[in-house]
Amino acid sequence: MTATVSSPAAGQRPATGTAPRSPRRNTEKRRQRTLTWVLAVISLFTVAPLIAVAVLALSPEDAPTLPYALPSSLTLDNIVRIFNVGEFPLWLWNSFLYSAVSVVVVLLTAAMAAYALARKRFPGRNALLWAIIATMMVPVQATLIPTFILISKMGGVNTLWGLILPTLANAQAIFLIRQFVRDMPEELFDAARIDGAGEWRTFWQIVLPLIRPVLATLAIFVFLWHWNDLLWPLVVGQSDAARTLTVGLATLNTETASTSNVMAATLVSFIPCLVIFALLQKHIVASITHSGVKG
Amino acid sequence: MSVNTRTRSTLTGRHPELTSPPLKPFGVKRARNREALAGILFVLPTLVIFGLFKFLPIFGAGAMSLTEYSLNGDFEFLGAENYTRLAADPNFWQSLKVTFLYVAIFVPFIIGVSLAGAVLLDKLVRFTGTFRALLFIPYLSSFVMAGIIWTWIFSTDGPLNAALGGLGMGPVPFTSGPQLLVLLSLAVVSVWKGFGYSMLIFLAGLKAQPAEVHEAARIDGAGAWKSFWYVTLPLLKPVVFFVLVIETIVGFQVFDTIYVMTGGGPARASHSLIYFLFDEGFKFFDFGYASAIGVVLFVIVLILSLIQQRFFEGKDSK
Repeated sequence: MTATVSSPAAGQRPATGTAPRSPRRNTEKRRQRTLTWVLAVISLFTVAPLIAVAVLALSPEDAPTLPYALPSSLTLDNIVRIFNVGEFPLWLWNSFLYSAVSVVVVLLTAAMAAYALARKRFPGRNALLWAIIATMMVPVQATLIPTFILISKMGGVNTLWGLILPTLANAQAIFLIRQFVRDMPEELFDAARIDGAGEWRTFWQIVLPLIRPVLATLAIFVFLWHWNDLLWPLVVGQSDAARTLTVGLATLNTETASTSNVMAATLVSFIPCLVIFALLQKHIVASITHSGVKG
Repeated sequence: MSVNTRTRSTLTGRHPELTSPPLKPFGVKRARNREALAGILFVLPTLVIFGLFKFLPIFGAGAMSLTEYSLNGDFEFLGAENYTRLAADPNFWQSLKVTFLYVAIFVPFIIGVSLAGAVLLDKLVRFTGTFRALLFIPYLSSFVMAGIIWTWIFSTDGPLNAALGGLGMGPVPFTSGPQLLVLLSLAVVSVWKGFGYSMLIFLAGLKAQPAEVHEAARIDGAGAWKSFWYVTLPLLKPVVFFVLVIETIVGFQVFDTIYVMTGGGPARASHSLIYFLFDEGFKFFDFGYASAIGVVLFVIVLILSLIQQRFFEGKDSK
């Protein structure tokens, strides 16, 4: 993970490492060394708990392990066990569907809406845009009860569709994509019109490819939001049929499951996030620094 | 990417894109109708989803808070009774007190840590990417996962108490002791999990500062600390304010870590507002009452958002 992402404003400030005079360069060197050490200590604070999870998850059961000793050997037994015992694989599958389906539907519907809101004139457009943006001011917890009542009336409690449906309304996605679509030159659309491209083709072959960067970023965040979500899945997925990994982990933790089992499950739940980060770090960092996407 | 300059506007709270684009020289009524039809068809899925799962629940929350509502759909109109009941409910005031105490601990804590991280990363020349990644990684975890890890770290036979035991102290009841200690422990978990995000925002703010000002301060003989306090920080004020509001809202919504680590205890010491809402709604199925709690949360968050907007608008008009 040593990707060197250039900062948005790189170049505005000359690199401090190229200080001209030698006495200054020496103090600068010392300063850099201290700085590196301080950051290494802080990194320990952020990373050590994650390493502890991995060690506990991979320690043989009943063998002495953290915090009093390091295990003499590591094993995958715990991981294999949680996949064979209980409902863990089902939770994993539910979490995957909850996240993956949401990503696809949110991105598609949000891109369509964003395109219309940015490029088409139709009655009620501005009112709708304002209404969508206004919903960003309402915390999801404030509408938890009526949303639950609605889903229960529709028969969606303890079902995957009941879990997924209400989370598809994503104002932030629409807002962000709309900014991109607005910045596209009008000539692009004129050319498409002259070439006789229909509305859907214009959207599919011109808009979508051009907004790929923002879609990639949003995909990451929508995935993480859903994968890590607790309150809504807790409320609507009370049986195993619709129980997600976070809810399952929380119940494992309160039950008397062994530490090695809980940590193995926790480790598995974190791996997709880690993989996404390793592959797409650039997108994540850039989007936060530019637009303040909040997860 | 030129678009990035535009997306920045969310940072400053300005929304220039809300004004209509210039009118196109169409003239033909049929073309306009076609355009309107296409527009409506494209927003239709969103309209349905938002109508059902955003707009309806938002009005539903207000309406339900005025009723006694049972799961089978029967309800009785109560007027403001749920709110007068809230005002007289010691559990409500306890949850408000817990939430405000938590916010008071959490917000300065996370701002301090993320600002410190950003300043250090900003000064670092080599390995910046590596350290940024290492500091950011916990942000990818869920609050549930963070809660599970830190439950173990804070437990009586966890590493923290093992270390304290080695020093002849403890065991310290991090998650079951006095209220302030429990809330501090919960704040540590949320800071660990969440500070990477604010740190990156601060870092972007620092990178955007012109080098000349810092150079001028240095020539004037300002040391690192003075230069930070009198130059860097004042220039960073809008960013600090943005992060402050965001993290305050996050703080008011604290739930997951409490659910995993303390269950609202000991003896309601960490029974936050959302936890209160969750209990009333899904333990006692008192939906009308729980909706009223949701409305209170909404009002608190709304006030914070308005303060943020007022602040930025005031700045823009100068």
